[in-house]
Formats: sequence, structure tokens, C-alpha cells
Amino acid sequence: MSIAVTPVTIVMIEDDEGHARLIEKNIRRAGVNNEIVPFVDGSSALAYLFGSGDVTEIDAHRHLLVLLDLNLPDMTGVDILTRIKGDPHLKCTPVVVLTTTDDAREIQRCYDLGANVYITKPVDYEGFANAIRQLGLFFSVIQVPETA
Amino acid sequence: MKTNNRLFVQSTTVLLLVGFLALLAIIGMTIWLGQRAQVYFDDVIRARDARGAAVELRNATQTAESSQRGFLVTGNEVYLAPYDSAKSLARRQMEVVKQTQTPYDQAAASVERLTAIIAEKFAEMDQTIALKRARKDDEALALVRTNRGKALMDEANVFFAGLIRVADDRLTTSVGEHRSNAAWLRLVSIVAGIVIIAVIGAAAFAVVRHTRELAAAREEVDVLNAGLEERVRDRTADLAQANAEMQRFAYIITHDLRAPLVNIMGFTSELEGSAKSLQALVDGLNEADPADPVVREARVAALEDMPEAIGFIRSSTKKMDNLINAILKLSREGRRALRTEPVELAEVIETSAAAIRHQLLQAGGTIDLQLRVPSILSDRPSLEHIFSNLFDNAVKYRSRERPLRIEVSASVVSGDLISVEIADNGRGIADQDRERVFELFRRSGIQDQPGEGIGLAYARTIVRNLGGDITVTSRLDKGTTFRVVLPRNLQSAEVAVA
Repeated sequence: MSIAVTPVTIVMIEDDEGHARLIEKNIRRAGVNNEIVPFVDGSSALAYLFGSGDVTEIDAHRHLLVLLDLNLPDMTGVDILTRIKGDPHLKCTPVVVLTTTDDAREIQRCYDLGANVYITKPVDYEGFANAIRQLGLFFSVIQVPETA
Repeated sequence: MKTNNRLFVQSTTVLLLVGFLALLAIIGMTIWLGQRAQVYFDDVIRARDARGAAVELRNATQTAESSQRGFLVTGNEVYLAPYDSAKSLARRQMEVVKQTQTPYDQAAASVERLTAIIAEKFAEMDQTIALKRARKDDEALALVRTNRGKALMDEANVFFAGLIRVADDRLTTSVGEHRSNAAWLRLVSIVAGIVIIAVIGAAAFAVVRHTRELAAAREEVDVLNAGLEERVRDRTADLAQANAEMQRFAYIITHDLRAPLVNIMGFTSELEGSAKSLQALVDGLNEADPADPVVREARVAALEDMPEAIGFIRSSTKKMDNLINAILKLSREGRRALRTEPVELAEVIETSAAAIRHQLLQAGGTIDLQLRVPSILSDRPSLEHIFSNLFDNAVKYRSRERPLRIEVSASVVSGDLISVEIADNGRGIADQDRERVFELFRRSGIQDQPGEGIGLAYARTIVRNLGGDITVTSRLDKGTTFRVVLPRNLQSAEVAVA
């Protein structure tokens, strides 16, 4: 099975470059060495995810994990989440919402839309690093069937 | 409107007074004139009686005289038949004349004289009749010829005529007086009637005009009221919108402020990690070449300056995060949907009080609850938060010099308002801080307790959300009383506010 060897690509949609850097650093520290494709706005991320509109067979067999910030300059992360979870090929892609908002209604809304994990970026860095490290654990878990 | 009102009352009072006086005048005049009429009437009766008596007496005397003459001429006893009855009638009528003339003093002499004349006349007639019966015709004739009898009769006639004329005069006068009396009565009645009608007319006019003014004023008030309600509605809508906008603004601001804060904190930590490696390196260098000034400076920078700077960045960021969280919490509370349900306020207060029981026991304090409130329709979590916060404050800011004593009293203050007073004997709030304690991030007194200064700001936001208010009275070093006023029905209060 050729698909089994395709490694998981992490798609990071995060407009704040500082946050992006911190997330990447911590992911690496957690021992996750997968490719990270960063995007600073929603449009380019959607273009990458959906291509020119026609999702090809190959596209469908890409193995992605989306790290999604909710506050983007051109659209909200919720829009992207809705698009991903509404697409027949992409809906199985794990989406980790990683944002500053800790509003209970917002969290609930994301889970309702199909988000797999919701992580609040805490100002407290220890908490932040910890959360990312746990996320690394999560990556290792989802990697298991692919590498096996 | 007020002066108008007073004028109306004054003018109406005056009018009524005038009408009353006119009525009194009519009654007085009528009674007086009626009495006068009675007097005149009595006069008339008396005059008539006096006249009648005089006429009767004259008739009787004349009858007696003609009877005597007939007998003297004929000697026939038949002629004497009416004499005796006429005589006794004359005597009786003489008495009546005397009686009827008694009220008139000026008549006394005349009556006396008439009595004498009548007596003498009858004596003369008796004498002639006696002589005739004794067949002494000559003597009887001689007596008649003296003309004494005629003279007496003439004189008597003069008196009779006099009495009758006086009586007639009196009748005429009395009737005349009576008539003028009646005319007066009529005149007074007419005048007073006119006055009363005028007064009533004026009063009625005033009342009608006043009523019309009142109606017009009320209409005006109604119109103003309607306008006012509309203005209040518009204003309230504006306020609600402004409030919503502000909350949205606060939310966005805090949210956006957090993003850079995450970076600052994150990279500070990264820096700290980098500093650690530097420190290890510098430590090694020091051992190699302690005299090198570059190494010394690098040592100070890596071991002292950098950790200090990082510490300050960290603590400031932490503080800023706390502030942002507080604002976020407030803005979130403002947007939270309230759930109105029946709440036993007494139970909520008791639960909140129970939460501080442990601290109270430790501090040797007491709490006294006087809760006389019915269940209310409100949002339970909000109420719990308010009272918990107030109780916490009472414990936190107690005086170290005396055991804490908290008195809670709740009662219905008006039909739809409930008041809860929480009084403590704590350290109190200085006058200038009394409003400040409700402001965000403001705290009062010695800063010896942890906290960010959001508790009361939050409590006030919640109470106002519930359509109530919270106020404070306090004396420094004596104690503080918080008063929470809540509507009995949150929804009706919302309707009133919205």
C-alpha cells in the first residue's frame, strides 16, 4: 500500500508568526518531525487544502493534520473548519483548533462543527508548551496506523 | 397651573361665601318681615274689633233710645220690649270697647268719658221710663225737654264717630304697612334671588372653565407622557446598543491583546532557556580567564541582568493577563443570558453564608441572618455570585482589632423591590473610596489582601443586569454596609428597563 508510507503533513494556519514559531518549536521539542506547512491567512490555506477546486485522487490520499487558529485576517477559523468538515474527502482530517479564545460557547461551537481537539493558547508559557507536548502525543497516536 | 388652581379655589370660595350671605339675608329678611306682617295683622284684627265694638255700642244705645222714645210717646209697653236687651248689650259692648281700647293709651280719657256719658244716658232714660210708668207724664216730658238726653246722645255719637274713625284709620294704616311689607319682602327676595343666581352662575362658569382647563392639561400631560415613553424607549434602545457595542469592543480588545501577550510570554520563556545555556557558557569562561573585563561584563549580563529583566517581563505580563481576564469576565457576564426562575432568596443567602462559615470560625466571627423575604423570580447563579462576593469581602476586610460580626437583613421594601443589607464591623471604607470600590481594578485601604479589584465591579455589573442596584455606606474603622436592591420579578424589571 503506497498510501501507508505517506507521512502526515501538518498544515498550520496561524496568522501570528510568533505563535507559529512557538508552536513549531514545541512540536519539534515533542519529537514530532513531520513536515509543517505554515499559512498566515485563510485563503492560501484553503487553496492548499482544496487545490483549484477539484480534489484529485492524490489529494484525497494526502495525510494531513490541520492546526487552526480561529482569528485570521481574511476569515474566521470557523469558516475553514466548516469547509473541511463539510468536504467528503477532507472530513476525516483531524483538526486541532488552537486559539486564544476560551469562551465556552465558541469551544462548543467548534466541537459541534467537528473539531477533534480544542486548545486554548494560555498566556502562561508552561501551560502552552505542555499543551503542545500533549498534542505531540496525539500526533504519535494518529501516526501509528500509517507507519505500521 | 398651580397658581391657576389656587385662584380657582379662592374665587369659588368667595362666590360661595357671597351666595351664602345672600341666602342668609333672604332668610333674615323673610323672618323679620314675616314677624312684621304678624304685627300688622294683629293691629288690623284689633282695629276691626275696636270698630265693631264701637258700632255695636252705638247701635245698642240708639236702639235703647228709640225704644224709650216710643214708650214715652205711646205709653205702650210694647215699645219697651227691646230696651232691656239693648241696655244689657250696651253694657257688654262698653266692656268690649274698654278692652279693645286698652292698647291705645291716648284713647283712655275718651273711653272714660264715653263710659260716663253712656251711664248717664241710661240713667236719664231709666228715669223717664220710671216717671212714665208712674203716670207722671208731665214730669217725664219736662225731663226730656231739658234736652239733657239728646245732648248726651250727641256727645256719645261724637265719641262713637271718633272711635270708628280712629279704628278705620288704623285699619288703613295697617293694611298699607302690610302691603309695603309684602312689597319689601318681594323686593328682597328678587334681589337676593338675582344675587344667588349670579353667584351660582359665576361659580358654575368657574367650575366649567376649570374643568376644561384640567381636561386640557391632562390631555397635554398624556401627550407629553406618550412622547416621554417613546423617548425613553428610544434612549433605552440606544443605551442597550451602546452597551452591547462596548461589551463587544471589550471582548475584541481583550481577545486581541492576548495574542501578543502569548508571544511575549512564550519568547520570554525561550529567552530564559537561551539565557541558561549562555550562563553555563559564561560560567566556564570565568574559570578560564577571570581578569578579562569582557568576560566579567558578560557574566553580569547573563547571571544578573537577564534573569532580572526576564522576571519583570514575566510578572508584568502575568499582571496584564489578569487584567485582561477580568475585563473579559465582565464583558462576558454582560452578554450572558439570564435565566429567570423562582429563587428562594433566603436560601441563596444562607448557602452563600455557609460557604464562609469555616473562615468565620477561624476568625472567631459570627453571622446573624434576618431574612424575611418571599421567593423571587431571578437568575440564581447571579444572586449566588453577588452574595458570595459580599460575604468574602466581609471576611477578607475584617478588622484585626475585634471579632467579625456580620448582620444580614432582607426585607420587602416596596411592592416589587427587595432589599438585602449586609453589615459588618470590618475596617470600613474611607469616604473618598466609597464609589471607587465599585470601579474596575480599584481597591480601597491597605493593600494587604490578594485581589485585582474586580469583585465589586463584577457584583455591581451583575446586580444591574438583574435590574437592581448595589450601594454602600461605611465608616472607616467601624464597618461597612452593602445594600442590594433587587426586583421581585426580573422579567417585569426588564420590561421596565427595556
